[in-house]
Amino acid sequence: MSENASFVFSGRLRTDVFVEFVRHRAARLDLAIDIGSVSDEAVTLTVRGASDLVDAFEMACSLGPYQCLVLDVTRRTGLAA
Amino acid sequence: MSSAGNWHPVGLSHSLEAGNSAGTRLLARELVVWRDTSGVAHVWEDRCPHRGMKLSFGFVRGDHIACLYHGWQYDRGGYCQYIPAHPDLDVPKTFKVPVYPTQERGGMIWTTLSENPADVPDDRGDTLPLRSLYLDCARDTAIAALGTVSLTLFVSQGQADTIVNRVTETLYEVSAGQERLLIGVQAIADDRTALHLAIRGSPDLYEGRGQRHFLDWALRLRHVIEHPRHTASAPRSVTTEVI
Repeated sequence: MSENASFVFSGRLRTDVFVEFVRHRAARLDLAIDIGSVSDEAVTLTVRGASDLVDAFEMACSLGPYQCLVLDVTRRTGLAA
Repeated sequence: MSSAGNWHPVGLSHSLEAGNSAGTRLLARELVVWRDTSGVAHVWEDRCPHRGMKLSFGFVRGDHIACLYHGWQYDRGGYCQYIPAHPDLDVPKTFKVPVYPTQERGGMIWTTLSENPADVPDDRGDTLPLRSLYLDCARDTAIAALGTVSLTLFVSQGQADTIVNRVTETLYEVSAGQERLLIGVQAIADDRTALHLAIRGSPDLYEGRGQRHFLDWALRLRHVIEHPRHTASAPRSVTTEVI
């Protein structure tokens, strides 16, 4: 099953590092990704792809790269068109 | 150290049975050598993309190899085809193990790390496996020792000089009279080398007694390399002719 999922990752983020990280993980999981608003406190993004792989994306990004500390993850899910 | 653009031996063909896998290293890279149940040999990066487990610890099932950790199964092309925890998932092509070209020639399994390798060494005539030697030395040290151990004749009588011919950067032929040994040189790392030895000739002539005869040469070679101070060097004619 495919889905769209919007995420807000908040915490102490280095935006350049974190955005590169999420793009790499999305590519590895064969997910389409759109980056929304970006700041050192929160990054908003949307991914589209298989539900199991969106779950894996959330898990991978909740740990974040070494230079960042993810404190909270908000996910809103909708079925893909 | 030999260049990554060449073909490199990574083991004797007979040492890897169908349905088995083994780990090795080449130029300091970790590789898994596995043979599917139809007998085809494969050389891949020895790392599952999921959690980094060595695939050489995995299981061969038909033409797939499965990781020991979570059972991810990879087809001959290195693509993950099945994830047990997500049996209905259409696994994306991005879940892939790097695979390397693999050939079997002269009784050895060969691979190359290059996308544009030179030709694989020719497969000319019968060979019999002898054994592999794993040595704590650089490849150049192992190659230099080849000409210091005389090869005694087995089929024919009398004596003959021992001659070392360089076939390629990773394949040498040691001969005396009509007797010939093929030596595949695997540069495992800067200070670690494997020599894969095979007899060039008919199994009718060399199987059994002939293999034991040349095994003695292999063990003397190992002794020369591992105990250089205790071994008097015996200069031999060494050619670098490409045959």
